[in-house]
Amino acid sequence: MKISPAHIIRLYDRFEFLDKEGSGQLRLEDFAEVKELAMNPIGDRIIGAFFSPGQETVDFPSFVRILAHFRPTDKNRAKDSTQPEPVNSRTSKLKFAFQLYDQDRDGKISRAELLQVLREMLGMQVTEEQLESIADRAIQEADLDRDDAISFEEFRKSLEKVNIEHKMSIRFLR
Amino acid sequence: MAELLGSSSVRSGRASFCLRVVGFVLLLVFAAAASASRDISNGTSKEPNPAREEDPHHRSNTTHHKKAFPVLSFNYEHVRTPFEISLWILLALLMKLGFHIIPRLSHVVPESCLLIFVGLLVGGIIKAIGEKPPILDSTLFFLYLLPPIILDAGYFLPIRPFTENLGTILVFAVVGTLWNAFFIGGMMYAVCQIEGTGLGGVDLLSCLLFGAIISAVDPVAVLAMFEEIHINELLHILVFGESLLNDAVTVVLYHLFEEFAHIGTVTVADAFLGVVCFFVVSLGGILVGAIYGILGAFTSRFTSHTRVIEPLFVFLYSYMAYLSAEVFHLSGIMSLIACGVMMRPYVEANISHKSYTTIKYFLKMWSSVSETLIFIFLGVSTVAGPHSWNWTFVVLTVILCFVSRMLGVVGLTYIINKFRIVKLTKKEQFIVAYGGLRGAIAFSLGFLLTNDKMKDMFLTAIITVIFFTVFVQGMTIKPLVDLLAVKKKKESKRSINEEIHTQFLDHLLTGIEDVCGHYGHHHWKDKLNRFNKAYVKKWLIAGERSTEPQLISFYNKLEMKQAIMLVESGSAAKLPSTLRKLPSCRIIPRISKGREEEIRKLLRANLQKTRQRLRSYSRHDLMIDPFEDNMSEVRFRKQRVEMERRVCFHLDSDSNFCERMRCRNRVNFRIRVRNTLLIPEGKLFKFSREEDIIR
Repeated sequence: MKISPAHIIRLYDRFEFLDKEGSGQLRLEDFAEVKELAMNPIGDRIIGAFFSPGQETVDFPSFVRILAHFRPTDKNRAKDSTQPEPVNSRTSKLKFAFQLYDQDRDGKISRAELLQVLREMLGMQVTEEQLESIADRAIQEADLDRDDAISFEEFRKSLEKVNIEHKMSIRFLR
Repeated sequence: MAELLGSSSVRSGRASFCLRVVGFVLLLVFAAAASASRDISNGTSKEPNPAREEDPHHRSNTTHHKKAFPVLSFNYEHVRTPFEISLWILLALLMKLGFHIIPRLSHVVPESCLLIFVGLLVGGIIKAIGEKPPILDSTLFFLYLLPPIILDAGYFLPIRPFTENLGTILVFAVVGTLWNAFFIGGMMYAVCQIEGTGLGGVDLLSCLLFGAIISAVDPVAVLAMFEEIHINELLHILVFGESLLNDAVTVVLYHLFEEFAHIGTVTVADAFLGVVCFFVVSLGGILVGAIYGILGAFTSRFTSHTRVIEPLFVFLYSYMAYLSAEVFHLSGIMSLIACGVMMRPYVEANISHKSYTTIKYFLKMWSSVSETLIFIFLGVSTVAGPHSWNWTFVVLTVILCFVSRMLGVVGLTYIINKFRIVKLTKKEQFIVAYGGLRGAIAFSLGFLLTNDKMKDMFLTAIITVIFFTVFVQGMTIKPLVDLLAVKKKKESKRSINEEIHTQFLDHLLTGIEDVCGHYGHHHWKDKLNRFNKAYVKKWLIAGERSTEPQLISFYNKLEMKQAIMLVESGSAAKLPSTLRKLPSCRIIPRISKGREEEIRKLLRANLQKTRQRLRSYSRHDLMIDPFEDNMSEVRFRKQRVEMERRVCFHLDSDSNFCERMRCRNRVNFRIRVRNTLLIPEGKLFKFSREEDIIR
């Protein structure tokens, strides 16, 4: 199921709207303009996800590629192992979310990284002790190979009951 | 060989014992029912009672002939009504109990069917005796039996799946019910016009009225059935949500057609007014419920000193919401649901753990009793009610109900799937269609109709449809679910990981929607949460818990539950969050029994004193506990166990490194226990005595 031309046009309009300078590329400042993102606890991470490592700008194809993760999953897709995994499959969506946790890209969510996420989400309202207890418990629950970090497989397993196809999809991008 | 015989005889002995118990209970049922019905049917006439009551007075006052002082006297009239009500309820519950004792029965036949069957038997017995069996009075049903079930459903409604599928549920509830009503009504009318069926007297409006009554899916029946088949959350919430929300449509259609059935014609203006009425009824009902819900939440903010009556506030505010909505002919069910949903998050943040448990169990208890009584009464009313059996009408009704439901669901799903992110498969559509049961609401609405020759025929048809759906569909849905391999409910507790990641994903999706400039589901949910946190919570939640983030309260609840569970299971296992610190060696040293006893006595004496200071048995002294009784109990037991272990280790002369490590970690552990079982404000609850004991 390919993305329709109408959707691409809509995304391009949005891209142009965000690109205040008209340079054809988005910079960090353009993303920061979006007011709601500033209020979002993990806004910085989301913005960071659009930029490939080392890159300073985002062009339109990259923009679409990142957003394509959030297209609704096509459940009737035949499981063809020769073709690469489509970018909006459940695994790809989970991988995208995993990379948002795993900032240093070592393939694991360490305790420090988890603590960082919790700190961002819960802000000033909790003590450091409580954060540590939560992080400890979370790792203890999910960590099956006892390496004190959550790997992608463990992450996937802890979310097996959540309907990711529904949760991580936006109708806009169908 | 001998063992086989022995076991089989034991089994048959047990089975025959069960049968004997059940038989005895049945006898009790019939006897009491007979007497009860006689009294119920005569109960309205109160004149003989005063006369009878006068006599003993009179007799005792006269001194003309001296009678012996009556040591034992019999005065049944005095307690008749409460006695009979209690007896009915008690026997209904004994029946329910009986079903679960009989081994194979509850697996094959759903409980609702069994209860209706018992009702039939009871009704039959009463009729055989020659008395008039009591009928399910509509006032009794709508005012006393229905609200507990709906409140139970509404208060514990799973909000997340409900709001995610709200569009689908609304389409099924509103459009689906309308389609059902008009299709059945229209087809019935068309058939009635055919010569030879003898139904020429049924006009269009009566048919439509009948269609309106029979079209709505019944929440009681759906609840009773779906609870037993453990189907996955999506299907459950779809059918159940539909059964709750179609009440508004039913109310409007019923009143509309009832008004006009006598006048005979409907104009366009009336139809337009009907549409307006629908919006008024549904939105008005929700508004009334929301107001009462907020009132209830606000009241619960101040109940920290009177914990005992907290559950009552929840029940009374909800019941008032229902009654207030009924006063204005608004949808009482939607009002009740709105009240429960509105109240719940704030009330739960304010009330004590014990009140929460009380509310949960009382609601479950009342709804269970109501459900049982409803089904039994349905059975009795079947035997009792005046019937007018018309083959064409009844059979046609049953077939039409089934067909229109199937068509409606399939057609609507085709349209809905264009808008859904996760589409409904054919299997799921079938289950949704098959799960559309009719129940006591249809019967009561039919019973409310004014008395004309149509009413008996309608009632018969309604009862037949109810029986068909409950018995046939109810019994076959479980094997069908297994056959079609529909996903079952995943029985599991929510883990902290799920909670963290779900919140993370919420934020992520909101952010992505903002990047796209798309004001979707997540955007509005986020806005609502912010509004809630900024303004509403401050008003409705007491003290500092108003600023507590959801994750923290979830985590605390989890830890508390686990701690209570661990203590109850009697083991001294550690909490998971502290497990990683402890080494794996577990050598327990031996000391003499006498020494152990001495130590135990010492400990008990010390700990006992602190405990007495906290214990309070007076109802009015509940406020002395700064926080839950459970917590202090848990702490004590944990500390006692730890203390005993620690002292034992220290007394042992050759304490090796491992034990020393363990002891140090024990201290750490205790600090951790204290921390993790914190009240959210972060304050440590200090026992002054506690420090002495540790030292």
